Amino acid sequence: MPELTAVYDLIARLLPFECMQMRFMQQALTGLLLLAPMVALMGVHVVNFRMAFFADAISHSAFAGVALGLILTVSPRWTMPVFGLLVGLAIVAAQRRSALSTDTVIGVFFSGAVAFGLAVVSRESSAARDIQRFLYGDILTITADDIRAMLALLAGLTVFQVYGYNRMLYIGLSPSVAKAHGVRAAAYQYIYAGLLSCVVIFSVQAVGVLLVTAMLIVPAAAARNFARSAGAMMWWALLVSTTSTIAGLLISAQEWARTATGACVILAAFSWFMLSWAFACMRCRAPGSRQ
Amino acid sequence: MTCACDSDRTAVMFENVTAALGGTVILEGVTARVPLGSCTAIVGPNGAGKTTMLLALLGEVPFTGGIRIPPSDEGRALRIGYVPQRLQFDRAMPLTVMEFMVMGWQRRPLWFGVARRYRERARQLLACVKLEGLERRKIGALSGGEMQRVLLALALGREPDLLVMDEPASGVDFQGEHIFCELLDVLRREQGFTQLMVSHDLPTVTHHATHVICLNRKVAAEGPPREVLTAENLTAIFGLHMGLVDSSALPDGKSSCSSACCTGRDGHA
Repeated sequence: MPELTAVYDLIARLLPFECMQMRFMQQALTGLLLLAPMVALMGVHVVNFRMAFFADAISHSAFAGVALGLILTVSPRWTMPVFGLLVGLAIVAAQRRSALSTDTVIGVFFSGAVAFGLAVVSRESSAARDIQRFLYGDILTITADDIRAMLALLAGLTVFQVYGYNRMLYIGLSPSVAKAHGVRAAAYQYIYAGLLSCVVIFSVQAVGVLLVTAMLIVPAAAARNFARSAGAMMWWALLVSTTSTIAGLLISAQEWARTATGACVILAAFSWFMLSWAFACMRCRAPGSRQ
Repeated sequence: MTCACDSDRTAVMFENVTAALGGTVILEGVTARVPLGSCTAIVGPNGAGKTTMLLALLGEVPFTGGIRIPPSDEGRALRIGYVPQRLQFDRAMPLTVMEFMVMGWQRRPLWFGVARRYRERARQLLACVKLEGLERRKIGALSGGEMQRVLLALALGREPDLLVMDEPASGVDFQGEHIFCELLDVLRREQGFTQLMVSHDLPTVTHHATHVICLNRKVAAEGPPREVLTAENLTAIFGLHMGLVDSSALPDGKSSCSSACCTGRDGHA
Protein backbone atom coordinates (compact mmCIF):
# COMPACT_ATOMS: atom_id res chain seq x y z
CA MET A 1 0.00 0.00 0.00
CA PRO A 2 2.20 2.86 -1.21
CA GLU A 3 -0.44 5.52 -0.52
CA LEU A 4 -0.71 4.50 3.13
CA THR A 5 3.05 4.67 3.52
CA ALA A 6 2.92 8.24 2.28
CA VAL A 7 0.33 9.02 4.93
CA TYR A 8 2.49 7.46 7.63
CA ASP A 9 5.51 9.45 6.56
CA LEU A 10 3.46 12.62 6.59
CA ILE A 11 2.31 11.89 10.12
CA ALA A 12 5.90 11.32 11.22
CA ARG A 13 6.89 14.68 9.77
CA LEU A 14 3.89 16.63 11.10
CA LEU A 15 4.16 15.21 14.61
CA PRO A 16 7.90 15.14 15.31
CA PHE A 17 7.58 13.28 18.57
CA GLU A 18 9.84 10.38 19.28
CA CYS A 19 6.92 8.00 19.73
CA MET A 20 5.38 8.96 16.38
CA GLN A 21 8.40 7.64 14.45
CA MET A 22 7.23 4.07 15.05
CA ARG A 23 5.18 2.48 12.29
CA PHE A 24 2.54 1.00 14.60
CA MET A 25 1.97 4.42 16.15
CA GLN A 26 1.58 5.96 12.72
CA GLN A 27 -0.93 3.25 11.82
CA ALA A 28 -2.79 3.78 15.07
CA LEU A 29 -3.05 7.50 14.48
CA THR A 30 -4.27 6.94 10.92
CA GLY A 31 -6.96 4.63 12.24
CA LEU A 32 -8.01 7.09 14.92
CA LEU A 33 -8.07 9.98 12.46
CA LEU A 34 -10.40 7.95 10.25
CA LEU A 35 -12.57 7.05 13.19
CA ALA A 36 -12.82 10.62 14.54
CA PRO A 37 -15.01 12.10 11.77
CA MET A 38 -17.18 8.99 11.75
CA VAL A 39 -17.96 9.12 15.47
CA ALA A 40 -18.47 12.90 15.22
CA LEU A 41 -21.00 12.62 12.38
CA MET A 42 -22.87 9.69 13.82
CA GLY A 43 -22.62 10.97 17.38
CA VAL A 44 -24.56 14.14 16.56
CA HIS A 45 -27.63 12.03 15.79
CA VAL A 46 -26.96 9.64 18.66
CA VAL A 47 -26.98 12.52 21.15
CA ASN A 48 -29.82 14.51 19.65
CA PHE A 49 -32.07 11.49 19.43
CA ARG A 50 -30.99 9.68 22.57
CA MET A 51 -29.67 6.58 20.90
CA ALA A 52 -26.85 5.97 23.36
CA PHE A 53 -28.45 2.76 24.50
CA PHE A 54 -28.65 1.57 20.90
CA ALA A 55 -24.90 2.12 20.53
CA ASP A 56 -24.35 0.24 23.78
CA ALA A 57 -26.32 -2.74 22.54
CA ILE A 58 -24.34 -2.89 19.29
CA SER A 59 -21.02 -2.68 21.09
CA HIS A 60 -21.95 -5.53 23.39
CA SER A 61 -23.13 -7.60 20.45
CA ALA A 62 -19.50 -7.46 19.32
CA PHE A 63 -18.92 -9.83 22.21
CA ALA A 64 -21.37 -12.30 20.70
CA GLY A 65 -19.61 -11.69 17.38
CA VAL A 66 -16.33 -12.84 18.90
CA ALA A 67 -18.07 -15.91 20.28
CA LEU A 68 -19.59 -16.70 16.92
CA GLY A 69 -16.13 -16.47 15.39
CA LEU A 70 -14.91 -19.07 17.89
CA ILE A 71 -17.72 -21.47 17.00
CA LEU A 72 -17.39 -21.07 13.26
CA THR A 73 -13.59 -20.84 13.48
CA VAL A 74 -13.72 -17.62 11.50
CA SER A 75 -11.66 -14.57 12.44
CA PRO A 76 -13.61 -12.25 14.77
CA ARG A 77 -12.54 -9.52 12.38
CA TRP A 78 -15.34 -10.77 10.11
CA THR A 79 -17.91 -12.09 12.54
CA MET A 80 -17.93 -8.96 14.73
CA PRO A 81 -19.03 -6.46 12.07
CA VAL A 82 -21.46 -8.88 10.43
CA PHE A 83 -23.10 -9.80 13.71
CA GLY A 84 -23.19 -6.17 14.90
CA LEU A 85 -24.83 -5.14 11.64
CA LEU A 86 -27.47 -7.86 11.99
CA VAL A 87 -28.26 -6.87 15.57
CA GLY A 88 -28.53 -3.19 14.59
CA LEU A 89 -30.93 -3.89 11.73
CA ALA A 90 -32.93 -6.32 13.86
CA ILE A 91 -33.40 -3.67 16.55
CA VAL A 92 -34.70 -1.16 14.01
CA ALA A 93 -37.04 -3.73 12.47
CA ALA A 94 -38.40 -4.75 15.88
CA GLN A 95 -38.80 -1.14 16.92
CA ARG A 96 -40.83 -0.32 13.85
CA ARG A 97 -43.20 -3.24 14.31
CA SER A 98 -43.42 -3.69 18.04
CA ALA A 99 -45.60 -1.81 20.49
CA LEU A 100 -42.88 -2.14 23.13
CA SER A 101 -40.86 0.95 24.00
CA THR A 102 -37.51 1.46 22.33
CA ASP A 103 -35.58 0.90 25.55
CA THR A 104 -37.25 -2.43 26.15
CA VAL A 105 -36.69 -3.66 22.60
CA ILE A 106 -33.01 -2.74 22.78
CA GLY A 107 -32.63 -4.19 26.27
CA VAL A 108 -33.97 -7.52 25.11
CA PHE A 109 -31.60 -7.77 22.14
CA PHE A 110 -28.72 -6.48 24.22
CA SER A 111 -29.06 -9.13 26.92
CA GLY A 112 -29.65 -11.88 24.36
CA ALA A 113 -26.43 -11.04 22.54
CA VAL A 114 -24.34 -10.73 25.71
CA ALA A 115 -25.69 -13.98 27.17
CA PHE A 116 -24.90 -15.81 23.95
CA GLY A 117 -21.37 -14.43 23.98
CA LEU A 118 -20.81 -15.37 27.61
CA ALA A 119 -22.20 -18.87 27.09
CA VAL A 120 -19.83 -19.62 24.22
CA VAL A 121 -16.79 -17.92 25.68
CA SER A 122 -17.20 -19.67 29.04
CA ARG A 123 -16.58 -22.99 27.25
CA GLU A 124 -13.31 -21.83 25.70
CA SER A 125 -10.46 -20.96 28.01
CA SER A 126 -8.39 -19.80 25.05
CA ALA A 127 -10.80 -16.95 24.44
CA ALA A 128 -9.51 -14.93 27.40
CA ARG A 129 -7.12 -12.93 25.22
CA ASP A 130 -9.92 -11.95 22.87
CA ILE A 131 -12.00 -10.83 25.84
CA GLN A 132 -9.21 -8.57 27.02
CA ARG A 133 -9.02 -6.91 23.63
CA PHE A 134 -12.77 -6.66 23.53
CA LEU A 135 -12.98 -4.90 26.88
CA TYR A 136 -10.13 -2.39 26.51
CA GLY A 137 -9.65 -2.15 22.78
CA ASP A 138 -6.29 -2.23 21.07
CA ILE A 139 -5.73 0.45 18.50
CA LEU A 140 -1.98 -0.25 18.44
CA THR A 141 -2.52 -3.60 16.73
CA ILE A 142 -4.61 -2.13 13.93
CA THR A 143 -3.65 -3.55 10.54
CA ALA A 144 -3.47 -2.06 7.09
CA ASP A 145 -6.59 -4.06 6.18
CA ASP A 146 -8.50 -2.47 9.03
CA ILE A 147 -7.45 0.94 7.81
CA ARG A 148 -8.58 0.16 4.30
CA ALA A 149 -11.95 -1.06 5.58
CA MET A 150 -12.31 2.12 7.65
CA LEU A 151 -11.51 4.24 4.60
CA ALA A 152 -14.32 2.54 2.70
CA LEU A 153 -16.71 2.99 5.62
CA LEU A 154 -15.79 6.66 5.98
CA ALA A 155 -16.48 7.19 2.28
CA GLY A 156 -19.91 5.54 2.48
CA LEU A 157 -20.77 7.37 5.66
CA THR A 158 -19.79 10.74 4.24
CA VAL A 159 -21.99 10.19 1.21
CA PHE A 160 -24.90 9.23 3.45
CA GLN A 161 -24.47 12.21 5.76
CA VAL A 162 -24.05 14.73 2.95
CA TYR A 163 -27.19 13.36 1.34
CA GLY A 164 -29.21 12.75 4.48
CA TYR A 165 -28.03 14.90 7.41
CA ASN A 166 -31.01 17.26 7.18
CA ARG A 167 -33.49 14.44 6.63
CA MET A 168 -32.06 12.57 9.62
CA LEU A 169 -32.72 15.63 11.78
CA TYR A 170 -36.25 15.72 10.43
CA ILE A 171 -36.89 12.04 11.17
CA GLY A 172 -35.28 12.34 14.59
CA LEU A 173 -37.61 15.17 15.56
CA SER A 174 -40.74 13.39 14.42
CA PRO A 175 -40.85 10.33 12.18
CA SER A 176 -44.57 10.75 11.55
CA VAL A 177 -44.31 14.40 10.46
CA ALA A 178 -41.30 13.60 8.29
CA LYS A 179 -43.16 10.73 6.67
CA ALA A 180 -46.33 12.74 6.11
CA HIS A 181 -44.14 15.37 4.46
CA GLY A 182 -42.67 12.92 2.02
CA VAL A 183 -39.43 11.74 3.67
CA ARG A 184 -38.71 8.03 3.27
CA ALA A 185 -38.11 7.51 6.97
CA ALA A 186 -37.72 3.73 6.93
CA ALA A 187 -34.89 3.74 4.39
CA TYR A 188 -32.96 6.40 6.32
CA GLN A 189 -33.47 4.60 9.63
CA TYR A 190 -32.15 1.29 8.29
CA ILE A 191 -29.15 2.80 6.54
CA TYR A 192 -28.29 4.89 9.59
CA ALA A 193 -28.55 1.90 11.93
CA GLY A 194 -26.37 -0.17 9.59
CA LEU A 195 -23.68 2.49 9.36
CA LEU A 196 -23.80 3.15 13.08
CA SER A 197 -23.34 -0.56 13.76
CA CYS A 198 -20.20 -0.63 11.61
CA VAL A 199 -18.80 2.50 13.27
CA VAL A 200 -19.46 1.05 16.71
CA ILE A 201 -17.70 -2.20 15.85
CA PHE A 202 -14.62 -0.35 14.63
CA SER A 203 -14.71 1.78 17.75
CA VAL A 204 -14.75 -1.36 19.88
CA GLN A 205 -11.43 -2.30 18.33
CA ALA A 206 -10.07 1.17 19.07
CA VAL A 207 -11.28 1.99 22.58
CA GLY A 208 -12.93 -1.19 23.84
CA VAL A 209 -16.51 -1.99 24.68
CA LEU A 210 -16.49 -0.14 27.98
CA LEU A 211 -15.77 3.17 26.31
CA VAL A 212 -17.32 2.85 22.88
CA THR A 213 -20.50 4.74 23.72
CA ALA A 214 -18.39 7.53 25.18
CA MET A 215 -16.56 7.77 21.86
CA LEU A 216 -19.88 8.56 20.18
CA ILE A 217 -21.57 10.74 22.73
CA VAL A 218 -18.86 12.76 24.49
CA PRO A 219 -17.67 14.78 21.45
CA ALA A 220 -21.27 15.35 20.34
CA ALA A 221 -22.36 16.31 23.85
CA ALA A 222 -19.54 18.84 24.08
CA ALA A 223 -20.44 20.13 20.61
CA ARG A 224 -24.00 20.60 21.72
CA ASN A 225 -22.90 22.92 24.49
CA PHE A 226 -20.74 24.98 22.16
CA ALA A 227 -23.02 25.15 19.13
CA ARG A 228 -25.91 27.50 18.51
CA SER A 229 -27.25 25.61 15.51
CA ALA A 230 -27.50 22.07 14.18
CA GLY A 231 -25.06 22.93 11.41
CA ALA A 232 -22.42 24.27 13.80
CA MET A 233 -22.84 21.25 16.07
CA MET A 234 -21.32 18.98 13.43
CA TRP A 235 -18.18 21.15 13.11
CA TRP A 236 -17.72 21.31 16.88
CA ALA A 237 -18.12 17.54 17.19
CA LEU A 238 -15.51 17.08 14.45
CA LEU A 239 -13.08 19.42 16.21
CA VAL A 240 -13.52 17.75 19.60
CA SER A 241 -13.25 14.18 18.34
CA THR A 242 -10.22 14.83 16.12
CA THR A 243 -8.22 16.74 18.72
CA SER A 244 -9.15 14.21 21.41
CA THR A 245 -7.92 11.23 19.39
CA ILE A 246 -4.58 12.90 18.59
CA ALA A 247 -4.06 14.11 22.14
CA GLY A 248 -5.14 10.77 23.60
CA LEU A 249 -2.73 8.75 21.47
CA LEU A 250 0.21 11.09 22.16
CA ILE A 251 -0.41 11.13 25.91
CA SER A 252 -0.81 7.37 26.14
CA ALA A 253 2.62 6.88 24.52
CA GLN A 254 4.51 9.19 26.88
CA GLU A 255 6.97 7.63 29.27
CA TRP A 256 5.27 9.12 32.33
CA ALA A 257 1.81 7.99 31.25
CA ARG A 258 1.97 4.57 29.58
CA THR A 259 -1.81 4.20 29.73
CA ALA A 260 -4.40 2.58 27.49
CA THR A 261 -4.96 4.67 24.36
CA GLY A 262 -8.75 4.38 24.39
CA ALA A 263 -8.99 5.66 27.92
CA CYS A 264 -6.75 8.62 27.14
CA VAL A 265 -8.80 9.54 24.08
CA ILE A 266 -12.01 9.55 26.11
CA LEU A 267 -10.36 11.54 28.93
CA ALA A 268 -9.29 14.18 26.42
CA ALA A 269 -12.84 14.34 25.05
CA PHE A 270 -14.17 14.52 28.58
CA SER A 271 -11.96 17.53 29.28
CA TRP A 272 -13.46 19.17 26.21
CA PHE A 273 -16.89 18.43 27.59
CA MET A 274 -16.14 20.05 30.95
CA LEU A 275 -14.86 23.10 29.11
CA SER A 276 -18.02 23.23 27.00
CA TRP A 277 -20.12 22.94 30.11
CA ALA A 278 -18.43 25.92 31.70
CA PHE A 279 -18.91 27.75 28.41
CA ALA A 280 -22.62 26.90 28.34
CA CYS A 281 -23.07 28.00 31.94
CA MET A 282 -21.37 31.30 31.25
CA ARG A 283 -23.55 31.89 28.21
CA CYS A 284 -26.69 31.09 30.20
CA ARG A 285 -25.80 33.72 32.77
CA ALA A 286 -24.99 36.35 30.19
CA PRO A 287 -27.94 38.75 30.18
CA GLY A 288 -30.24 39.05 27.23
CA SER A 289 -29.33 35.82 25.49
CA ARG A 290 -32.41 33.67 25.14
CA GLN A 291 -30.74 31.41 22.63
CA MET B 1 -61.43 33.52 -3.82
CA THR B 2 -64.81 32.11 -2.96
CA CYS B 3 -65.25 29.78 -0.07
CA ALA B 4 -65.66 26.23 -1.16
CA CYS B 5 -67.19 24.84 2.00
CA ASP B 6 -69.78 22.13 1.65
CA SER B 7 -68.69 21.49 -1.89
CA ASP B 8 -69.95 18.29 -3.42
CA ARG B 9 -66.41 17.30 -4.21
CA THR B 10 -64.50 15.10 -1.84
CA ALA B 11 -60.95 15.56 -0.54
CA VAL B 12 -60.83 12.36 1.52
CA MET B 13 -63.31 9.50 1.72
CA PHE B 14 -63.11 7.03 4.62
CA GLU B 15 -64.88 3.84 3.57
CA ASN B 16 -65.69 1.30 6.23
CA VAL B 17 -62.38 1.83 8.03
CA THR B 18 -61.72 -0.53 10.91
CA ALA B 19 -58.56 -0.36 13.00
CA ALA B 20 -57.49 -2.37 16.02
CA LEU B 21 -54.46 -1.98 18.25
CA GLY B 22 -53.42 -4.86 20.49
CA GLY B 23 -56.79 -6.58 20.16
CA THR B 24 -58.84 -3.49 21.03
CA VAL B 25 -61.05 -2.19 18.27
CA ILE B 26 -60.45 1.54 18.02
CA LEU B 27 -62.31 2.35 14.83
CA GLU B 28 -65.27 0.29 13.73
CA GLY B 29 -66.61 0.59 10.20
CA VAL B 30 -65.97 4.30 9.94
CA THR B 31 -67.41 5.83 6.81
CA ALA B 32 -67.02 9.57 6.55
CA ARG B 33 -66.33 12.28 4.01
CA VAL B 34 -64.07 15.30 4.08
CA PRO B 35 -65.45 17.80 1.56
CA LEU B 36 -62.94 19.58 -0.66
CA GLY B 37 -61.98 23.01 0.65
CA SER B 38 -63.76 22.48 3.93
CA CYS B 39 -62.61 22.87 7.49
CA THR B 40 -63.60 19.47 8.79
CA ALA B 41 -63.41 18.74 12.50
CA ILE B 42 -63.44 15.31 14.12
CA VAL B 43 -64.95 15.55 17.60
CA GLY B 44 -65.56 12.93 20.22
CA PRO B 45 -64.68 11.89 23.75
CA ASN B 46 -61.27 10.57 24.84
CA GLY B 47 -60.55 7.17 23.34
CA ALA B 48 -63.02 7.70 20.52
CA GLY B 49 -60.34 7.02 17.90
CA LYS B 50 -59.96 10.58 16.63
CA THR B 51 -56.18 10.52 16.44
CA THR B 52 -56.22 6.96 15.09
CA MET B 53 -58.42 8.15 12.24
CA LEU B 54 -55.80 10.74 11.30
CA LEU B 55 -52.96 8.24 11.69
CA ALA B 56 -54.79 5.79 9.44
CA LEU B 57 -55.01 8.53 6.83
CA LEU B 58 -51.27 9.18 7.18
CA GLY B 59 -50.50 5.47 6.88
CA GLU B 60 -49.16 5.21 10.43
CA VAL B 61 -51.56 2.54 11.70
CA PRO B 62 -52.79 -0.58 9.91
CA PHE B 63 -56.49 -0.73 9.06
CA THR B 64 -59.02 -2.57 6.93
CA GLY B 65 -61.40 -0.82 4.60
CA GLY B 66 -60.38 2.01 2.32
CA ILE B 67 -59.28 5.60 2.49
CA ARG B 68 -59.75 7.21 -0.90
CA ILE B 69 -57.86 10.39 -1.70
CA PRO B 70 -58.77 11.62 -5.18
CA PRO B 71 -55.84 13.22 -7.02
CA SER B 72 -55.75 16.97 -7.34
CA ASP B 73 -56.91 18.84 -10.42
CA GLU B 74 -53.42 18.75 -11.91
CA GLY B 75 -53.50 14.97 -11.53
CA ARG B 76 -50.61 14.67 -9.08
CA ALA B 77 -50.87 12.87 -5.76
CA LEU B 78 -52.34 14.91 -2.94
CA ARG B 79 -49.76 16.77 -0.86
CA ILE B 80 -50.35 16.50 2.86
CA GLY B 81 -49.20 18.90 5.55
CA TYR B 82 -49.28 17.47 9.06
CA VAL B 83 -49.32 19.36 12.35
CA PRO B 84 -48.99 16.93 15.29
CA GLN B 85 -50.58 17.45 18.66
CA ARG B 86 -47.28 18.13 20.31
CA LEU B 87 -43.72 17.55 19.26
CA GLN B 88 -41.74 15.58 21.82
CA PHE B 89 -38.16 16.62 21.46
CA ASP B 90 -35.08 17.41 23.45
CA ARG B 91 -35.34 21.10 24.31
CA ALA B 92 -31.59 21.51 24.72
CA MET B 93 -30.98 20.48 21.12
CA PRO B 94 -29.21 23.19 19.14
CA LEU B 95 -31.56 23.57 16.20
CA THR B 96 -32.67 27.01 15.09
CA VAL B 97 -36.14 27.80 13.78
CA MET B 98 -34.55 28.57 10.41
CA GLU B 99 -32.87 25.15 10.26
CA PHE B 100 -36.08 23.49 11.37
CA MET B 101 -37.97 25.13 8.52
CA VAL B 102 -35.52 24.23 5.76
CA MET B 103 -34.46 20.73 6.80
CA GLY B 104 -37.16 19.21 4.62
CA TRP B 105 -36.35 21.25 1.50
CA GLN B 106 -32.62 21.68 1.45
CA ARG B 107 -30.54 18.71 0.43
CA ARG B 108 -27.16 20.35 1.10
CA PRO B 109 -26.27 19.53 4.71
CA LEU B 110 -26.91 22.27 7.22
CA TRP B 111 -23.20 22.43 8.14
CA PHE B 112 -22.73 24.40 4.95
CA GLY B 113 -25.43 26.88 5.91
CA VAL B 114 -28.86 27.63 4.50
CA ALA B 115 -29.20 28.65 0.86
CA ARG B 116 -30.56 32.13 0.29
CA ARG B 117 -33.70 31.08 -1.58
CA TYR B 118 -34.72 28.72 1.24
CA ARG B 119 -33.92 31.40 3.78
CA GLU B 120 -36.28 33.78 1.99
CA ARG B 121 -39.03 31.21 1.77
CA ALA B 122 -38.74 30.29 5.45
CA ARG B 123 -38.99 33.99 6.36
CA GLN B 124 -42.15 34.33 4.27
CA LEU B 125 -43.76 31.31 5.90
CA LEU B 126 -42.85 32.49 9.39
CA ALA B 127 -44.36 35.89 8.57
CA CYS B 128 -47.45 34.03 7.42
CA VAL B 129 -47.91 32.58 10.91
CA LYS B 130 -46.96 35.89 12.57
CA LEU B 131 -43.56 34.81 13.80
CA GLU B 132 -41.31 37.34 12.10
CA GLY B 133 -37.81 37.62 13.47
CA LEU B 134 -37.68 34.29 15.26
CA GLU B 135 -35.43 32.55 12.70
CA ARG B 136 -32.37 32.50 14.92
CA ARG B 137 -34.17 31.34 18.05
CA LYS B 138 -33.54 27.75 19.13
CA ILE B 139 -36.69 25.67 18.82
CA GLY B 140 -36.27 24.58 22.45
CA ALA B 141 -36.72 28.20 23.52
CA LEU B 142 -40.10 28.60 21.84
CA SER B 143 -43.31 28.72 23.85
CA GLY B 144 -46.00 26.09 23.25
CA GLY B 145 -48.05 28.42 21.07
CA GLU B 146 -45.03 29.57 19.07
CA MET B 147 -43.96 25.95 18.51
CA GLN B 148 -47.42 25.05 17.17
CA ARG B 149 -47.24 27.97 14.76
CA VAL B 150 -43.76 26.94 13.62
CA LEU B 151 -45.12 23.44 13.00
CA LEU B 152 -47.95 24.99 11.03
CA ALA B 153 -45.44 26.99 8.98
CA LEU B 154 -43.49 23.79 8.34
CA ALA B 155 -46.65 22.07 7.11
CA LEU B 156 -47.60 25.09 4.96
CA GLY B 157 -44.15 24.91 3.40
CA ARG B 158 -45.31 21.74 1.69
CA GLU B 159 -47.95 23.83 -0.13
CA PRO B 160 -50.46 21.25 1.06
CA ASP B 161 -53.72 20.31 -0.61
CA LEU B 162 -54.76 18.77 2.67
CA LEU B 163 -53.73 20.09 6.07
CA VAL B 164 -54.09 17.46 8.79
CA MET B 165 -53.97 18.69 12.38
CA ASP B 166 -54.21 16.77 15.62
CA GLU B 167 -55.50 19.16 18.28
CA PRO B 168 -53.36 21.92 16.83
CA ALA B 169 -54.07 24.30 19.67
CA SER B 170 -53.72 21.95 22.62
CA GLY B 171 -51.58 23.47 25.31
CA VAL B 172 -52.32 26.94 23.99
CA ASP B 173 -54.48 29.24 26.07
CA PHE B 174 -57.93 30.26 24.88
CA GLN B 175 -56.73 33.52 23.37
CA GLY B 176 -53.90 31.75 21.60
CA GLU B 177 -56.21 29.09 20.26
CA HIS B 178 -58.56 31.70 18.91
CA ILE B 179 -55.73 33.49 17.11
CA PHE B 180 -54.50 30.16 15.76
CA CYS B 181 -57.90 29.28 14.29
CA GLU B 182 -58.48 32.73 12.83
CA LEU B 183 -55.08 32.50 11.20
CA LEU B 184 -56.00 29.13 9.71
CA ASP B 185 -59.30 30.44 8.38
CA VAL B 186 -57.50 33.23 6.56
CA LEU B 187 -54.79 30.92 5.20
CA ARG B 188 -57.32 28.35 4.05
CA ARG B 189 -59.18 30.96 2.06
CA GLU B 190 -55.97 32.33 0.56
CA GLN B 191 -54.40 29.02 -0.35
CA GLY B 192 -57.52 26.94 -0.89
CA PHE B 193 -56.48 23.81 1.00
CA THR B 194 -58.73 21.39 2.79
CA GLN B 195 -58.35 21.32 6.54
CA LEU B 196 -58.95 18.23 8.63
CA MET B 197 -58.50 18.54 12.36
CA VAL B 198 -59.16 16.72 15.57
CA SER B 199 -60.50 18.92 18.31
CA HIS B 200 -61.61 18.61 21.88
CA ASP B 201 -62.89 22.07 22.04
CA LEU B 202 -66.50 22.31 20.92
CA PRO B 203 -66.79 26.12 20.96
CA THR B 204 -63.83 26.32 18.60
CA VAL B 205 -65.37 23.72 16.35
CA THR B 206 -68.71 25.49 16.19
CA HIS B 207 -66.92 28.72 15.30
CA HIS B 208 -64.51 27.49 12.70
CA ALA B 209 -65.53 24.14 11.26
CA THR B 210 -67.69 23.85 8.18
CA HIS B 211 -68.12 20.11 8.46
CA VAL B 212 -68.12 17.96 11.57
CA ILE B 213 -67.58 14.25 12.08
CA CYS B 214 -68.78 13.05 15.49
CA LEU B 215 -66.80 9.97 16.35
CA ASN B 216 -67.07 7.44 19.10
CA ARG B 217 -65.40 4.42 17.54
CA LYS B 218 -68.18 4.64 14.95
CA VAL B 219 -69.41 7.72 13.20
CA ALA B 220 -72.32 8.98 15.32
CA ALA B 221 -73.20 11.92 13.13
CA GLU B 222 -71.73 13.86 10.25
CA GLY B 223 -72.58 17.15 8.59
CA PRO B 224 -72.55 20.92 9.09
CA PRO B 225 -71.94 21.92 12.72
CA ARG B 226 -75.40 23.42 13.21
CA GLU B 227 -77.09 20.16 12.27
CA VAL B 228 -74.65 17.84 13.98
CA LEU B 229 -73.76 19.53 17.26
CA THR B 230 -77.22 19.26 18.74
CA ALA B 231 -77.92 18.57 22.37
CA GLU B 232 -79.19 15.06 21.61
CA ASN B 233 -76.16 14.13 19.53
CA LEU B 234 -73.70 15.48 22.06
CA THR B 235 -75.41 13.67 24.90
CA ALA B 236 -75.29 10.49 22.87
CA ILE B 237 -71.55 10.82 22.16
CA PHE B 238 -70.17 12.38 25.29
CA GLY B 239 -72.58 10.72 27.68
CA LEU B 240 -73.62 13.90 29.39
CA HIS B 241 -75.31 17.04 28.27
CA MET B 242 -72.88 19.66 27.09
CA GLY B 243 -74.90 22.77 27.80
CA LEU B 244 -72.05 24.88 26.52
CA VAL B 245 -72.78 24.08 22.93
CA ASP B 246 -76.49 23.99 22.89
CA SER B 247 -77.50 24.81 19.35
CA SER B 248 -79.07 28.04 20.57
CA ALA B 249 -75.65 29.11 21.82
CA LEU B 250 -74.19 29.07 18.34
CA PRO B 251 -72.97 32.43 17.15
CA ASP B 252 -75.82 34.13 15.34
CA GLY B 253 -75.13 37.18 13.32
CA LYS B 254 -71.68 38.64 13.76
CA SER B 255 -69.50 36.41 15.81
CA SER B 256 -65.89 36.88 16.76
CA CYS B 257 -65.01 34.46 13.98
CA SER B 258 -64.17 36.39 10.86
CA SER B 259 -64.06 33.41 8.54
CA ALA B 260 -66.10 33.70 5.39
CA CYS B 261 -67.17 30.11 5.88
CA CYS B 262 -68.49 30.87 9.32
CA THR B 263 -70.19 34.17 8.61
CA GLY B 264 -71.30 33.06 5.16
CA ARG B 265 -73.08 30.08 6.66
CA ASP B 266 -74.81 32.26 9.17
CA GLY B 267 -76.20 34.33 6.32
CA HIS B 268 -78.24 31.55 4.73
CA ALA B 269 -78.70 29.13 7.57
